[in-house]
Amino acid sequence: MARRLRISIDYDRCVGSGICVLTAPAVFQFNERRQSSVLDPAAEPEERVLEAAQGCPQTAIFVEDADTGERLFPPPELA
Amino acid sequence: MLVQDDLLAPDVVADPYTYFGRLREEDPVHWNHRWGGWLVTRYEDVVTVLRDHERFSSDRMASLVLELTPADRDRLSLLINYFSKWLVFTDPPYHTRVRMLINKAFTPTSVERLRPRVRQIVDELLSAVAARRQMEFIHDFAFHLPVIVISEYMGVPPEDREQVKEWSDETSRIFFIRADEPDRRERSQKGLQHLLEYFEPLIYDRRRHPKDDLITALVQAEERGDLLSHEELLATCTVLIFAGHETTTNLLANGLVALTEHRDQWERLQQDPSLIRPAVEELLRYDGPVKATFRWVKTDTELGGKELRAGDRMLAVLAAANRDPRKFAEPDDLDIGRVPNPHVAFGHGIHICLGAPLARLEAQEAFLALSQRFPQIRLADRPREYHRTIVARALKELWVEW
Repeated sequence: MARRLRISIDYDRCVGSGICVLTAPAVFQFNERRQSSVLDPAAEPEERVLEAAQGCPQTAIFVEDADTGERLFPPPELA
Repeated sequence: MLVQDDLLAPDVVADPYTYFGRLREEDPVHWNHRWGGWLVTRYEDVVTVLRDHERFSSDRMASLVLELTPADRDRLSLLINYFSKWLVFTDPPYHTRVRMLINKAFTPTSVERLRPRVRQIVDELLSAVAARRQMEFIHDFAFHLPVIVISEYMGVPPEDREQVKEWSDETSRIFFIRADEPDRRERSQKGLQHLLEYFEPLIYDRRRHPKDDLITALVQAEERGDLLSHEELLATCTVLIFAGHETTTNLLANGLVALTEHRDQWERLQQDPSLIRPAVEELLRYDGPVKATFRWVKTDTELGGKELRAGDRMLAVLAAANRDPRKFAEPDDLDIGRVPNPHVAFGHGIHICLGAPLARLEAQEAFLALSQRFPQIRLADRPREYHRTIVARALKELWVEW
């Protein structure tokens, strides 16, 4: 079974590039301020969620294993 | 309100913060008669404009074409054709497609791999001047670093760098509006033509012989079966080499001025190099390389109580937004520990600077090395003069000693 992810957005960093919305549209959508918001962390494969987080030009998307709390992205040198 | 309307007046060029700051407080969405467009200066309004690409277009070529006579359009057809494929001048859906194809090469994760090499280049450039006790920072350092990095990343051989840089500078003439250059469109097109002729064989070569460089990555870029066309590839190569040059140079020069003029912050960075990331963000906010960015109003609309008409042009003044006291505490102070720092120096929204992660990395490595190797560095006692442009915050020279 796929692990459960916890995704958080740093709104001081998010500039609404839309990269995540285009990469994993079932997980990310624009909110009313045209910043990213998380719809359903389980709606796309983990690989695509991580691709969306890595694609963010601002490193504004943080992904964790919801059960263990392990940080999956970003690594410490990019956080 | 009585404000002077000359965006290229000597005092505005020398100190844009006073002029645009006054507009921000007194008339935040201001019609500038002389320039013929809106100046948007408050943080919230700038962010609104940059986020809302449906109301505010980036399609500069559409408006340029309208200004030109049919004869001029013929004469400048090459320029119009390729610039209209530059990401920075396009709207969705074209922009979305091409940005998604090349975004991967410029993510923070991708450019982090370049850090050891960037560190080495910084070290070599500083070693070359160390014994001289002085340098003209722009031409001895700040100019070379971004040129070497983007050239190596793209796969432009060292012996071609200077030539490519010259063509790129010529190409840029159309953007950095200087009152004294009536033939700038023609020179810009000529520069672009040289760049296209230069990159075309490189692209053919990488199709046959893939290498570990960006041109190869662009040739192979594929997102759900989509590929860049040959013209799109050429346009993208020219915009990347161009964008990789002047802006980073100006970030480094403006940043060094800010740090040396705030000695306490300079010493703080020396004592605590772990502040380098927030320090570079603060330098971007405090005196970034781009003062303003253009947009065109797509449909009649309202902003800040003003009626905007379709076709109006506007400047989103990043330099004013970054000093807006509604968003930043003590905005005119330099604080290298400022976190969070949601500045708009790289823009905002879908056009957020593609090269931002690379520019950040270069600036981090440069200021780390400078603060460790030349802790005594200070500005030489010479007047500082900025280029007369609306968009770029660009010093002509910057003499320093240590």
